[in-house]
Amino acid sequence: MTDLMLFQLVGVFLFCVGIFGLVRRKTLMGMLIALELMINGAGLSIVAAAQLTTGDAVRGQLAALFVMGLAAAEATLMLAIILVVVKRFKSGQTDRISQMRG
Amino acid sequence: MEILAKAAFTFYCLIICMGSIMAVASRSLVRALVGLIAVMIAVAGMYLLLAAPFIAFMQILIYVGGVSVLIFFAIMLSRASAEGDEAGPVSLRKAVNAFACLLTPAIILSLIIIYHPEAALDAPTNVPPALLGEGMLGPYLLPFELISVVLFAAMAGAVLAAWRKRGRK
Repeated sequence: MTDLMLFQLVGVFLFCVGIFGLVRRKTLMGMLIALELMINGAGLSIVAAAQLTTGDAVRGQLAALFVMGLAAAEATLMLAIILVVVKRFKSGQTDRISQMRG
Repeated sequence: MEILAKAAFTFYCLIICMGSIMAVASRSLVRALVGLIAVMIAVAGMYLLLAAPFIAFMQILIYVGGVSVLIFFAIMLSRASAEGDEAGPVSLRKAVNAFACLLTPAIILSLIIIYHPEAALDAPTNVPPALLGEGMLGPYLLPFELISVVLFAAMAGAVLAAWRKRGRK
């Protein structure tokens, strides 16, 4: 077991637990939390691959930074979408949000 | 030093395991958020172990300082009840789906990682933050500028989407 393998496995663990939560959660907020878990796993995997292989380390670290920036943008948009949905449907539960035309 | 690094890795792994399970299984959304924050801090520790301190600080700044506050606002403004909307049983179909979604990528990706190992270095590469800055303003200038445009568009879109028109109820 190399170090790279261990870090990659932790990244895969985070990603898979994130998918599990994304499918299992009943509210939009819970799904958002699970999504952040997945993004963290992806970032960890990218940085591990950049630091522990002969690939370009600068490129890998910048990729991780871009992932973080995109995650921040995504969280902002999700906040707005959740606000609008909760205002319109009076609930954040995904089962109740089945109507496309409000 | 080797033992110390291994101990730190095990410690962060434990925090990540407990935090992520708390984040996906807790009934209260606020508890789930606390689990997520623990995971984020432990991942920052992993970045430190990988000799990437700049990424670790960015992780703490952006995720722990920014994204988690946004998620907390989302929980608060959606008026989740104290018990949480997550309370109550999960339907069997959903649980089975969730476990299928957990196991399929877990098995495939772990098998790939374990049976096709990449040639790995023994010690992580040390990249000074100055090199990162040069990369950001040199060959990767376009993505760096694009991400600021994306952030601006996301913020403007968020304000526009959540805007309550005056006069209309």
